[in-house]
Amino acid sequence: MTEPHANPEDLDLYALGALDGEEKQTFEAHLRSCPACRRELAAARERTTLLGLAAPAAAPRPQAKAALMDKVRAEHRSPATQMAPLKAAKKRWGLRFSLGFGLATAVLAFATFELAKQDLDRGRQLKKMQAQLSQDTTAMQAMGQVTAAPDSAMVTLLQQPGGPPGQAHVMYNARMGMGVYSGQLAPVPAGKSYQLWLVPASGNPISAGLVEANQQNGAMVMHLTPGLVAKAFAVTIEPQGGAPQPTGPKVLVGVAG
Amino acid sequence: MTATTQPVPDSALIGRVMAGDESALATLYDRYSTMLFGMLMRILNDRGAAEEVLQDLFMQLWRNAGQFDAGRGSLPAWLMVIGRNRAISRLRGRRDREVLEEEEGDFAGTFASPQNIEDEAARAQLAHRVAAALSKLPAEQRQALELAYFEGMTQSEIAGKTGAPLGTVKTRVRAAMQSLRQIL
Repeated sequence: MTEPHANPEDLDLYALGALDGEEKQTFEAHLRSCPACRRELAAARERTTLLGLAAPAAAPRPQAKAALMDKVRAEHRSPATQMAPLKAAKKRWGLRFSLGFGLATAVLAFATFELAKQDLDRGRQLKKMQAQLSQDTTAMQAMGQVTAAPDSAMVTLLQQPGGPPGQAHVMYNARMGMGVYSGQLAPVPAGKSYQLWLVPASGNPISAGLVEANQQNGAMVMHLTPGLVAKAFAVTIEPQGGAPQPTGPKVLVGVAG
Repeated sequence: MTATTQPVPDSALIGRVMAGDESALATLYDRYSTMLFGMLMRILNDRGAAEEVLQDLFMQLWRNAGQFDAGRGSLPAWLMVIGRNRAISRLRGRRDREVLEEEEGDFAGTFASPQNIEDEAARAQLAHRVAAALSKLPAEQRQALELAYFEGMTQSEIAGKTGAPLGTVKTRVRAAMQSLRQIL
């Protein structure tokens, strides 16, 4: 005879962490032998997690972040010694990215529909965002392709002696001729731009585009010629708007492979 | 050659945190600290204590980013679950919840969310919907749910505090969760 499933009331209470006493022990014993109830519990936990969003968002004081980063710096680990996990994580990047994008689109579509019913102005704002999202689809798909491809490689670009502080990462796929750049640099001097270069095995550097000083939250997606193998990547300071060939000092350099 | 800008996915930032990149952790903090701090303040009602829990949470992410498995769910959901447990442990002076979530393994379930909470605009809309849904619940259902979620009370404690029979508490929580399920 099949064991009866857990009481749905207990399932919700357990997901909230509120089931106690003998009922909790009985429930856990049942979970060990019932994959269906474990799946139900996972779904209940997902809903429970959202309850935290009901609390009004609030900003911690700026010194809280400063204290955190001080503590982090005190425990700093060298990037150079930790590249293996980075490559492993890379495989998840593309999957998460594509799933995240799909969910974002679905949620935005739903929210647009709901809000359009309730509030026309807000509905219009969301539709505008949706249009923007649609325009960015190609770039997002490109990023997903690069990060998911097993033959993509991560290059860390480090600051140069005597130069301004900064660090950046490029994930590049030579077969596709596409890459993703993110990084942090000192503010660019007035009238100048930061420019990213791909240095091929032979021949002149090839411009991969202009980059912002703070490209931490927003990654830059670059499209180059498929089959272009990189020996290194570099960021230089160039006249505003960029130059056909590097003319200014190198601020970041990273050797590929 | 063309170039466009897109948000760096959480999983990429996690990869960089694992590689020791402090700026990636700072970016994740900027992305999620407001959402998390709001929840921590609601539970602890003490700015200093909430900031300490927030710092502990991100230090855990810094030291053990590998614990987070993107295959099991989203980073903000994972941070919400661990953050809530730490805050309630602190509020109630007990450690069992942390152990439950972080070592339980089989029953910890996923840290997924049925909605996307990585995207800031979508998250804000979702927060609005969750708050609106809670406000529409009958007062006794909302109270039971809030005592469980934000104060970490067990069913027996809720029954003791509200004076309702245990069976009634169970029914109220169940009904509230069903309403949320339909709305969300």
